[in-house]
Amino acid sequence: MIKSRPCRGVGLILAGALLSAGIAASAAAQPATPNFEGVWKIATPTKTLKPISGPVPFTAQGRKQYEENKRLQAKGAYDDYDITLSRCNSPGTPRLMLTPERFKIWQQFGVVTFDFEWNRALRQINASNLPAQEDFIGRGLVPTMTGTSKGHWEGATLVAETANLSERTLLDDLVPHTVDMKVTEHLRLLDPDTLEDRITIEDPAYFTRPWDAVVTYKRQPPALFGEDVCLDRLKAHQPVFPQ
Amino acid sequence: MRTEFPRRSLKGLAVAGAAALALGAGSAGAQPKGPPPGAGGPGGPPGGAPPAQDGKIALSAPPNFGPPPPPPTPAEQLLAGLPDPQPGAMFPMPPLPADSPMPGADPHDLRGAWHHNQPLAFRMQRDMYDKPAPYNLEGAKVLARRVNSLKDGKPFTNASAVCRPPGPQWQRDLNMPFQIFPSKDWIEFVFEEYHGRWQVVLDPAKAPRPAQKEYMGYSVGHWDGGTLVVESSDFKQALWMDVDGTPLSANGKLIQRIRKVDNGDHAPFLEIITTIDDPTYYTRPWSVVRTFSWEPSLSVFSEYNCEEQIGDPSVSADAGLLPEPKD
Repeated sequence: MIKSRPCRGVGLILAGALLSAGIAASAAAQPATPNFEGVWKIATPTKTLKPISGPVPFTAQGRKQYEENKRLQAKGAYDDYDITLSRCNSPGTPRLMLTPERFKIWQQFGVVTFDFEWNRALRQINASNLPAQEDFIGRGLVPTMTGTSKGHWEGATLVAETANLSERTLLDDLVPHTVDMKVTEHLRLLDPDTLEDRITIEDPAYFTRPWDAVVTYKRQPPALFGEDVCLDRLKAHQPVFPQ
Repeated sequence: MRTEFPRRSLKGLAVAGAAALALGAGSAGAQPKGPPPGAGGPGGPPGGAPPAQDGKIALSAPPNFGPPPPPPTPAEQLLAGLPDPQPGAMFPMPPLPADSPMPGADPHDLRGAWHHNQPLAFRMQRDMYDKPAPYNLEGAKVLARRVNSLKDGKPFTNASAVCRPPGPQWQRDLNMPFQIFPSKDWIEFVFEEYHGRWQVVLDPAKAPRPAQKEYMGYSVGHWDGGTLVVESSDFKQALWMDVDGTPLSANGKLIQRIRKVDNGDHAPFLEIITTIDDPTYYTRPWSVVRTFSWEPSLSVFSEYNCEEQIGDPSVSADAGLLPEPKD
């Protein structure tokens, strides 16, 4: 997003002139959209999406699938429950937000693009009026790993609601979800160098109630990411997530 | 003020393998289905005008008074025997809405969302001046080997087919959108297809050559007036520059000249002239040109997740393709 920086001195003079003339602020003078652009990295690396309080509120069905995932993990049968580990499949939403590596945020035309160092993965939040592209093949019926994220600004907070998520991903390294899951995120800057993502998970088939997790990120120096190709690591029998 | 974007019923898509409809064949950089290299000289086919019919003189190409064309080289003879490439197709994009955001006035500001607006060239047979691509015999052999492998039903593996970054030329050529994010020290191109990334370094001191070669190579750019000149080299492996495998050796270079064009017709575009400099396969450098229309409405990408299929442990990691013989 191309920003303009109004001269503070001129702004103060102008504001004073407008007030003295009794002219109300124009409806067009909207507050500037917050700028999250930059390089970020998770403050406290974690493989699990931890609820703010208490354990994950599984339903019986959700608990059953979770225990099955643990069993498959112990067996090393990764492709049966975690195709990110077995195939370099996109971790999807919200698991991408747990990446231990860096990511960049870009904002353009109201679209927020997350560009991850890991495998050049991408996700986007559409906080504009731009329509999604025509899905000639899937007709919008085929869920995707990152889902469809529609966003809007509430003051300085970007609120993103993501649905149409493939059940082939996990919330983290074990917790399953269904295709009906909805993820709501509240992203905001706690300070210029700290970004917070409050993630709300709703999936009535697997969880008895919506539950929240919070992840924070610290701003990193500007940098170009190296070309990370997960499939090359997989082919070389190296970890999908670099240690 | 928010800009409203009307919902559109069509978007530009390349339909690989579609029925033979090559739209926009007259636009710059399109690859018309011309004669095979070496067939016919600048004055047209030999033999003069065809015989008159029904007493009237048929209009035709004027007789060739120039010297006879040189005999085809061994490379040209080899390429003349190849089957024609499939034609690309392109749905025309609707015009920009009247209230669409437009590119910045600064020619150095390439920020925006762009989309290759010409039919995909399955095989770059001719350069931007409509001259045959200047293959030497080694280059012709490589292309022939690749084209015939597909014809024979035993196609060779290549980066694109196995979900690897395909190199800058093919990455840009695909009719899927990309965004450009410039900064002081580099310019980043982020592509929908292959969730690709092309990074152009403006200050090598801030982003030196990586220790390991990369599929997309290492690209260094500088501004020449309003044109960004980018030299890409140091590729991890030899490239297929298009579907049929127009080759670039691992030691080859691509020099890209990128500029914004705005003719005041509410249809700004990016022009990229790519010069292919590869003495391994070509007798001289040669250039192709592509244009990319300004498309803010394509900023929202469709998800591209080829790893789900290619990474499937139950199928071959090479997607059933055969390894290409080394030269």
